[in-house]
Formats: sequence, C-alpha cells, structure tokens
Amino acid sequence: MDQLWGPMAQYTTVQWEWPVALYLFLAGLSAGAFIAALLVKWRDSSDGRYDGLVKAGALLAPVAIMLGQGLLIIDLSKPLSFWLLMLHYQLQSVMSIGVILLMIYSGLSTLFAAIVYKEWLADCELTEWFFKPLFPIIEWFENRGAWFEWVMCLVAIAIAVYTGFLLSSLGAKPLLNVPLLPFLFLISGMSAGVGASIALGATMFNESVQVRNLQYLLSLDTKLLPIELFVLFVMFTGLVNMGGQYAVVAKQALTTGIWANIFWIGVVGVGLVLPIIVSLTSLHGLNVSASNTASLTAGGTNSYETQQAMPMGILLLNCTLVMLGSALLRLYIVYAGQLFI
Amino acid sequence: MADKRYGMLFDSNRCIGCQSCSVACRAENKVPDDVYRLQVRIDGPKGEYPQLVMDFERHSCVMCEKAPCVPVCPTGASYMNKDGVNMVDSKKCVGCKYCINACPYQARFINPVTGAADKCTFCYENRVQKGEKPACVSICPTGALVFGDVNDSKSEIRLALQQYTVKPKEHLGTHPKLSIIPNKRGGGQ
Repeated sequence: MDQLWGPMAQYTTVQWEWPVALYLFLAGLSAGAFIAALLVKWRDSSDGRYDGLVKAGALLAPVAIMLGQGLLIIDLSKPLSFWLLMLHYQLQSVMSIGVILLMIYSGLSTLFAAIVYKEWLADCELTEWFFKPLFPIIEWFENRGAWFEWVMCLVAIAIAVYTGFLLSSLGAKPLLNVPLLPFLFLISGMSAGVGASIALGATMFNESVQVRNLQYLLSLDTKLLPIELFVLFVMFTGLVNMGGQYAVVAKQALTTGIWANIFWIGVVGVGLVLPIIVSLTSLHGLNVSASNTASLTAGGTNSYETQQAMPMGILLLNCTLVMLGSALLRLYIVYAGQLFI
Repeated sequence: MADKRYGMLFDSNRCIGCQSCSVACRAENKVPDDVYRLQVRIDGPKGEYPQLVMDFERHSCVMCEKAPCVPVCPTGASYMNKDGVNMVDSKKCVGCKYCINACPYQARFINPVTGAADKCTFCYENRVQKGEKPACVSICPTGALVFGDVNDSKSEIRLALQQYTVKPKEHLGTHPKLSIIPNKRGGGQ
C-alpha cells in the first residue's frame, strides 16, 4: 500500500488455486482408472465375472470425476451460476468443450460402473427399487461389445487430454503454453489411475484380483513413469530452446523458490524416480527371480504361490508414491504456471 | 453509418502521475475498494542527478482487436461489442477466471461485489454511448489521454495517432486499440 497508485494485490493473485490442481489430478486419475479397467477387461473376457482390478477402476472413475467436478464448481467465484456453463456453449473455448466432455464422460463412467456392479446393484436393498427397471438398458449397453468400450476409452483419453489443453491454450502463461502438456497429463493421469486401481483392487477386491492382471498393470505403470520423466525433459528443454520469455520462465520455474523444490523433490524424486526404484527392486525384480528359482527347483509348479507373496505394504507404497507424484505435478504446473509469467 | 472502432492514446510525456484518472474511474464505475480497472504506475525517479527520468505507465485493458480473453470464455460472457470495445456480461459470467489467466496485460480481476470478471470498459455504457468521453480522458489535467473513433478520419485520435506510437506487448499479435507514446523526457537528452 506504499505506492501512490494503490495496492497491486489483484495483479499478483493466483487465480486458480489447489482446488483446480486437485480437479486436474482427479480427472486424470478417473480417466486413467477407466482406461486401466478396460485394458484388464480386454485381456481376459471372463463372462460376467470381473477381475477385482476392473471393479476397482469402474468404481474409481465415476467417483473421482464427480469429486473433481464438485471442486470445480466450488472454485467458481459465482458457484451457484454453474448451470450457465450448460446453457451457453462456446466451441472455441477449451473449457466449454470440457463441459461437454465431462457430461458425456460422467454418464459413460457411471454406466460402466453400473455394468460391472449390475448384480450387486440389483441385489442390494437400497438400490434394487430403481435399478431393476434400468436393468434391461444396462444389459443392452453391456452387449454392445468392443466398439462401445472403445468409445468409452476414447472419451476417457479425451478427458485426460483436455485438462492439458485447458492450460496449454493460455498464451499469456509461457510455462503452460506448451504443446506437450496434454500428453504429459495423459501419461500422468494414466499412471495415477493405474496406481489407484491397483491400490483399491489389492485392498478391497483382493479375492477377485488375478495376479497376472496385477502384474500387467504394475508393469504398465513401471513403463509409464520413465515416459513421463522423458516428456518432462523434452518439455523443459523445448521451453529453453524456444527462447525469449519461455526460456526465462522455464529456468525460473526449475530453479527458484519453493516450487522448484516441489518439482525436483516432489514430482521428480518422490513421484517418479522413487516409484521406479521401488517397482524395479521390490516388486518387479522379486517376481522374476521368484518364478525363476521356482521353475528351476520345482518345475514352475509353485511359482503361483511365490508370486502371490508380493509384499502388500510395498505395493501400496508404490501406488501411493505414483498418485502423490501425479497430484504434485498438477499442483506444480498450476501454481508455477501462474506465478512465473 | 459504419460501426465505430474506439481507441485510446496515452501520451506518457504529458502524464504527471497525478492519479486523477484512477480516482475518476473509481467514482464513475463504482469500482469496489482494493481492486482497480486502471492504475498509473510511476517508475522512478531513476538515473543519476541531474539526468533523472520518471516513467508513467498506464495499466488497464488495452482493448485487443484479437482479444485472448474472448475465445477462452466458456459462456460467451466475455465479448467484443459492435464498436470494438471488449466487455463482460456479468450476468452470464460464472467466475471461472479463465479470461483473467488468458489476459497477457493482467487487466482483469474478479469484482468482489458481483463475483464476475471485471475490467475497463472505456466507460462504454455509462459515458461513451451518451457521446461523452471515458472518465479518465475527461478528467486528465494535462491532455495525456486522447479518445475517439479510429474509423473516423476526422477524429482527434486519428490526428494524434500520426505521431510515433507503440502498442503494449505488440509481439503477442493481440492488436491493442490502446496506443502509447513512449517517454522521451528526462535523462538529459
């Protein structure tokens, strides 16, 4: 308030705070979990009997996206007028396209959950009365086959990708205005969704999780993390090469203040490097060596038993790290993107 | 008659940093406390005596012809009217803050009273439509601000724009309708 021209608080205010970052994380997680559920379902089409990982993903997708949308509405400065977003559409606005995608996605993810949990929903006393009449519709969609699942998968990808375009369309924010951001958010969202599905599947639906499916998702996550590291590397070197304000901002965001620490320690260290190490040393390596010795000593008959002994604590730690890293990435991008301009 | 294209010229050589424009803006547009549609920032005095320089910078909406705030708006609340003035329909605005983040000039803010995005309107609805000049232009004691229809070849602003002017952050390609005559005074030239 020293200056003659008045306080400058409005010019330094961060407009989008943690609720938006958390929404971006939840949207990515939701889409990732949906894709993970479909991937597992496509691997083994056991008729009507779904793997615990499919159940986990099918539950996570609608719940996470609903929570995220709630956060978005709370973050509006006029929360009660949110319905205007569904009345007026502007197709040149990424946010408006996002509103359309979110409505389709919310419907599809709820539908998928209803398909996966149809027997439970029809039996449960609380849901029976309204679910019974819907049963034929749910079954009709269930019998649409692979093309309908591909539609769901594409909409899920679109949700993860749009959250990146939402930020990358901002020309006034050099750190956000990068072409790779939608791809980064897709990879990060996938790994968070896969991690969440493994964690929920291994705890809540343990009895129906098949080890080979668990290993499939785990190895998918172990591949996604180095890709994410590589995308981050390409993104920042690209920013530096673009020169001008892009280079200035990229260097600031990587070297100054608390956000640089959050990036290096939180996003890169805890969220990417550590889970890669944990996964390769304690989960991935263990299985390979266990099944190798088993096949050497007992002709592979007890390999199933040794594989099941995958340490639950370390598995959950790995998933938690991956999700934490994905959440910190959104937090870092949202804050650093608005602060360094 | 063809539509107008309202523009403004800020001559930083004539500005004395008196803040009259800022006060007039607040009074005319009932801008709530602690938020600003317009600030005139004073940079200096800088340099070494007696070669001192003081720069005055007008900070407000620059009325881009290709405004980044318009296409990002999800409801169409942010728009350019027929006379080239960028406006906010506060009833349509949901307060998503996308336009505030999209603006390279930091000209927008959330109005704490209405909850909608707010900014300079060139006093379009309350003065310009009635044939008056924006409050900041009318009150300026040194004639540092010139306002008018740049489509009208006989207008005061067209004459004034024959001088050497620059556009704020011209490299962004936003084509602002606010032009600036950069400071030539001071520094012992």
